[in-house]
Amino acid sequence: MTERTILVSTMEEREKLFIALYKGAFPAVARYVSKMGGTFDEAKDIFQDALVIYYEKAVAGEPDIRINAKAYLMGIAKHLWLKKFGVNSRHVSIDGIDTEEAEDVRVSDSRLLNFLQTAGKKCMELLRSFYYDQLPLNDIAETFGFSGVRSATVQKYKCLEKVRETVKEKALTYEDFLD
Amino acid sequence: MRTSLIETEQIEAHLLQLSDTGNALVFEAKMLLDPELTDNVLWQQKAYHIVKLYGRDQLKREIESVHQQLFKDEQHQSFRQKIMRLFTKK
Repeated sequence: MTERTILVSTMEEREKLFIALYKGAFPAVARYVSKMGGTFDEAKDIFQDALVIYYEKAVAGEPDIRINAKAYLMGIAKHLWLKKFGVNSRHVSIDGIDTEEAEDVRVSDSRLLNFLQTAGKKCMELLRSFYYDQLPLNDIAETFGFSGVRSATVQKYKCLEKVRETVKEKALTYEDFLD
Repeated sequence: MRTSLIETEQIEAHLLQLSDTGNALVFEAKMLLDPELTDNVLWQQKAYHIVKLYGRDQLKREIESVHQQLFKDEQHQSFRQKIMRLFTKK
């Protein structure tokens, strides 16, 4: 997690980023979807999925994508549109942009998520900051009120262990879990 | 850290490929001898997947809240009109 430029580290910063990306890139995406005969809701869904992909690539430190966010988002949006509605969409290439779309969430995973959202919200938020948002531990320690990196690390592993045990326990009750 | 947390840390190093070759080999040998450890590796991998899904789910909620702001708040009226015009001209 070192050597990476931090994109945003708080919810407020993420909000500012998404407002800026919406204002900068949504008009072009909406124009494209409208031209292709799509609706406002379809443009919205596609753009929001594109934002998720953009964010995940950006926090993973993917080079280049932040240089021209608008072009990148437009590229992903076109790809998603053609994948959803186009013919031969499997062969659609978008100038070397690798778009790993969010896969559908399985029923068992979504039940487990619901459980963890209520039973272990604080742990899930901590783990999200580290593994999903890829924030540095000293930022995490500060945000979550730990005395330092060391205690944030210990708490991170405690939470991970807790989630692992929950996953294991729930796997026995959710039928499609190990498919 | 207590022993189980050290093991969790070692599993993480294995799954996220953070170990050097020597430590990676030792860990793989330990897995061969300890089925419980192998089980924990599997469950921990699943835990990372769940954390990713959680992160994505929360992010989508944040994005939806931005969308609601932009398409409801008075201050973003001109932006909203610009977009809505694209879908009413047909």
